[in-house]
Amino acid sequence: MSEQALSRALSRRSRMAHLKKQLGEGLFHLYGLTGYLFLYLPIIILVIFSFNDSRSTAQWAGFTTHWYADMMNDHQIILSLWNSLFVAIVSTLVSLVIGTLAALAMERYRFWGKLMMDAVLYLPIIIPDIAMAIMLLIFFDVSGIGFQPWKANFFGVHLAVPYSVIIGHVAFNISFVAVVVRARLAQMDQVLEEAAQDLYADPWRTFWRVTFPMLLPGIMGGALLAFTLSMDDFVITFFTSGAGFNTLPVRVFSMIKKGVTPKINAVSSLMLLFSLVLVAISLIIGKGGDENSSANTMF
Amino acid sequence: MSETYAVELRNVVKQFGEVVAVNNVSLRIGEGEFFSMLGPSGCGKTTTLRMIAGLEMPTSGSVMIYGEEQGYLPPYQRPVNTVFQNYALFPHMTVAQNVAFGLEMKKVPKDEIRRRVAEALELVQLTGKEKRRPKQLSGGQKQRVALARALVNRPKVLLLDEPLGALDLKLRKAMQSELKALQERVGITFVYVTHDQEEALVMSDRIAVMNEGNVLQVGTPEEIYETPTSRFVADFIGKTNFLNGEVVEIGDGLAKVVLENGAVVEASVPEGKTFVRGERATVSIRPERVYITPANELPDVRNAKAFSHLPAKLVKFFYVGSERRYVVLVGDTEVVVQAQNVDRSTRRCHTGDEVVLHWDSAQARLLKE
Repeated sequence: MSEQALSRALSRRSRMAHLKKQLGEGLFHLYGLTGYLFLYLPIIILVIFSFNDSRSTAQWAGFTTHWYADMMNDHQIILSLWNSLFVAIVSTLVSLVIGTLAALAMERYRFWGKLMMDAVLYLPIIIPDIAMAIMLLIFFDVSGIGFQPWKANFFGVHLAVPYSVIIGHVAFNISFVAVVVRARLAQMDQVLEEAAQDLYADPWRTFWRVTFPMLLPGIMGGALLAFTLSMDDFVITFFTSGAGFNTLPVRVFSMIKKGVTPKINAVSSLMLLFSLVLVAISLIIGKGGDENSSANTMF
Repeated sequence: MSETYAVELRNVVKQFGEVVAVNNVSLRIGEGEFFSMLGPSGCGKTTTLRMIAGLEMPTSGSVMIYGEEQGYLPPYQRPVNTVFQNYALFPHMTVAQNVAFGLEMKKVPKDEIRRRVAEALELVQLTGKEKRRPKQLSGGQKQRVALARALVNRPKVLLLDEPLGALDLKLRKAMQSELKALQERVGITFVYVTHDQEEALVMSDRIAVMNEGNVLQVGTPEEIYETPTSRFVADFIGKTNFLNGEVVEIGDGLAKVVLENGAVVEASVPEGKTFVRGERATVSIRPERVYITPANELPDVRNAKAFSHLPAKLVKFFYVGSERRYVVLVGDTEVVVQAQNVDRSTRRCHTGDEVVLHWDSAQARLLKE
């Protein structure tokens, strides 16, 4: 082979390699883009059609905020929103206390039955919602706890929230709080607690002055997670609420049965916005905590 | 009434399950003493320190601080403070808040806290850094905060768990002398845990050498270095040569030992140790205590009562600037000889030469094998 032919062959080969690389990169980007479209296109369409000036959720007929106004005037929707908030706040607070204590017990102490406790604590995360919902339904029915409402005045709104719903939400939220707080606790150097004790702090003050402030980012993370899960839970709420009690997701479900209107899109868009705000808050808290708070990277 | 010690341990044992971490340790640490516990990792020195602090409870035995039995008293009720290995500063508090922590827990009035925190920070030269967070400080500064946080409480005894371990060599050397000066100034008893023998020698009034949960020897740095009573101590502190042999004669503080190659040398017998004729034993001699001369030549005998002479073969020579280092073979055993390079006179021993090693017999130690 002559030298010229060799160099020509070589340059052709390098040109081919370059093309291949470009093609590969292009396809790779396309693949990523398709993935994102698959995930977010339905949401974008949902939001767009919440502004549709027509009863149809498929054909665009001009811009309107009519459906949002309609939503705000729908007493049932507003009541179900209050119900959702009440259930989420109460169940989050209760599960924060129990979940944090459970995390402390699992991470700091050795006791009889710890291994079993560990498994039981993770169970609500692993088992299907429907199984847990049916279990709870049977439990409330058989135990005689029933579906008695808690009549509460919540920011001036009179609510009647079944205890069973709150207990049900607490039951699954404890697990999520415990997991997040435990992750944080595992990272925390126990020698800090020893240092506090060495500096005359009894266990109670050691907890409040050292352990708790160090855990706070984890606890806040757990709170946000529990709150979000509680806000958009449908299955467990549906099964444990007895008759005539609606949270927002349950309300949306019963509206869909009567036909889909852009009002549902409006409600969904609002819930989406709400979730985004929560995520933003959690990210800000995560940044504000110290550098080794990976508990917040969970979401 | 017996004398009161700052810290007294009596037959302290600590077991973790099957593992004996500390095995029947008894120590008496005097008031104002800089006392070090020295040993390799896992020798039980940190566990012993933690038992004084109350962070571990002894399996048996008793821990007393200024004559008071500590029993199962929790750490927050003991009159001691600890400087932890990796400082253990509270990351969510400022320097001033860290230092004030102990005083706040003791419910000292606010004015006094402010004054004492300022004093403590001045003592460790951190005035002006009050508002910093631990992560904004260098390793040396964190070290000083940890010291201030402990000293501000005016503990009866300060416990230090390898406090200089995380610093680089240069800073460590500087902190060693600073720490020693600080201890002399505040007059508090320091119990210092380290695995660094040089650190222990430089700083301590007395050292306890530990290995495998036992205290092998307690003494001043000089005693530990000059008159080790066991092979482990001789080996762990400084450098030494070991020559194995058999005891053939025991005299007035000195014993004659026949080495494996048939040569007979003398070594001093440590106080309190008894050897019998025919017993296998080891002679320990420090490299700088050996003189080396060409065969059939004697060094200045000076005022030594007894001198040992040992024929050997020079196999390696190193010129190290401040010293000359010779490696010789005695039978199969390598022996290192260090000679201070005090004049520029030409070296008279060369690699491959037959040489003679000499030492003042009182400088060699007879140790159990």
